Amino acid sequence: MDLLAQVTGSVGSIGYGIATIGPGIGVGLVWAAYIQATARQPESAGLTRTYAFLGFALAEALALIGFVAPLVYGT
Amino acid sequence: MSILAAESPNPLIPVVGEIIIGTIAFAVLLFVMWKFVAPGFERAYQARRAAIEGGIERAEAMQAEAKAALDQYRAQLAEARNEAAQIRDQARAEGQQILEELRVQAQEESARIVARGEEQIAAARQQVVNELRGQVGGLAVELAGRVVGESLADEARRQGTVDRFLDELDGMAAGSPDGRSGSTVAGGTR
Amino acid sequence: MTFSAHALGDVLAVESDPGGGFVPPGVGEFFPETLFGFSVLGIQFDIDRIILALWLATAVILVFLVMAARKAEIVPSRLQFVGESGYSLVRDGIARDVVGPKGLPFAPFLASLFFFILANNALAIIPGIQISPMARFSFPLVLALVCWVVYIAVGIKNQGLWPYFRDIMFLPGVPKAAYILVTPLELLQNFIVRPFTLAIRLFANLFAGHMLLVTFALGAVYLFQVGNFSAVFFPLSALMAIVMTFFELLIIFLQAYVFTMLMGTYLNGSVEAAH
Repeated sequence: MDLLAQVTGSVGSIGYGIATIGPGIGVGLVWAAYIQATARQPESAGLTRTYAFLGFALAEALALIGFVAPLVYGT
Repeated sequence: MSILAAESPNPLIPVVGEIIIGTIAFAVLLFVMWKFVAPGFERAYQARRAAIEGGIERAEAMQAEAKAALDQYRAQLAEARNEAAQIRDQARAEGQQILEELRVQAQEESARIVARGEEQIAAARQQVVNELRGQVGGLAVELAGRVVGESLADEARRQGTVDRFLDELDGMAAGSPDGRSGSTVAGGTR
Repeated sequence: MTFSAHALGDVLAVESDPGGGFVPPGVGEFFPETLFGFSVLGIQFDIDRIILALWLATAVILVFLVMAARKAEIVPSRLQFVGESGYSLVRDGIARDVVGPKGLPFAPFLASLFFFILANNALAIIPGIQISPMARFSFPLVLALVCWVVYIAVGIKNQGLWPYFRDIMFLPGVPKAAYILVTPLELLQNFIVRPFTLAIRLFANLFAGHMLLVTFALGAVYLFQVGNFSAVFFPLSALMAIVMTFFELLIIFLQAYVFTMLMGTYLNGSVEAAH
């Protein structure tokens, strides 16, 4: 097989590294918004906590999928 | 390429035995938590809330009591104030009355004093009149004697003497505070 | 099949001399040799030290909770105070505030989740064990499946079979045309992604945490013995192993809390009718 360039080692690791960027930003945004909301209106903390956790879980789901993808597909 | 990969299973593949073991472990914990631990803690919460609420109730009862006492004191104070005002009014009325009585008394007194003074004056005048009357009598007698002794011929002279005397008397009467009584005396003498 | 630390090890192994290179920790870490095994009804039970650790953690947390709650009084003892703090964190912070007014009956369930995860997570940094059963995918999966069953059952029980699925499939207030996109996503999200992420989140955190600890610890040992200039980096690696242990402590509490909190959030969606 003719190879022009080859990456050896775990491409999955690189993939996971890239996959964490988006969820990282997303999770950061979710908590930043929650902290801001709480700082502006402390009594709304209980009200928005549920949504903060839902958003956090949704954003983090992508990172978790990224985590398992290399394990599922192997090298 | 991995050294260990060949001999290790994929970590994402669950093992049925482990799932059963994990389920049993969690079920045991859940059962104990549901049956013993949670009711125990809930009981403690209940007792604590009861204690706190009991304390609050006690505090509320004490507060109500204190408020009742305060109200009572306030009512009593208001009553006392009312009473004091009444007493003051009464005293003022009594004072007024006393003052009135005193004034009436004083007026009566003054009236009496005035009356006595008048009486005294009247008595004094009576006395004077009586005295005068006596003197006038005496004088008249003396005059008569003198007239008789001197000679009653000179009618004119006699007339003059009597007139002069009476004038004198009038003058005396004019000098006295009551002119009328003087003239009465003079008239009476005539 | 591979993962990051393993790959790093591979790279290191290739670059250093092939004879005595750094042998990185691998997935094998999570599969110690079976101590004994037996078979019931054709199902093979292989008991290794991680499963023993699970039993130990469960037994310890059970004893602790029973001791704490057995003589619960108005003025708590020290043990009761610790147990009560954890319980009320879940009961008041999650069951009452997140699940809602109807959430208090779920407090024992949520508290069980919390204490079970906490005890098992804690094994990740307890010397002598230093591996959490939660780093074995089966155990988080058990919890996630239990949660999955519970929140769907509660949803059906509280809202009725059809309204529950209708509200998930056809979100109120969404334009009709958008259902083509929203309905599959919502179904996927509610019935596959939720339990999957619950399990994976816990598993991944403990798995990666253990790998970090092992990598730094083995790295320190390797650097200490390497016999060349690289030995000066040994304290750095050892220090990182210690720092990571404290980081793990944070992760242990955080993941137990997040798992319970998310379960509370899902329960909230099931308990309350359409938002």
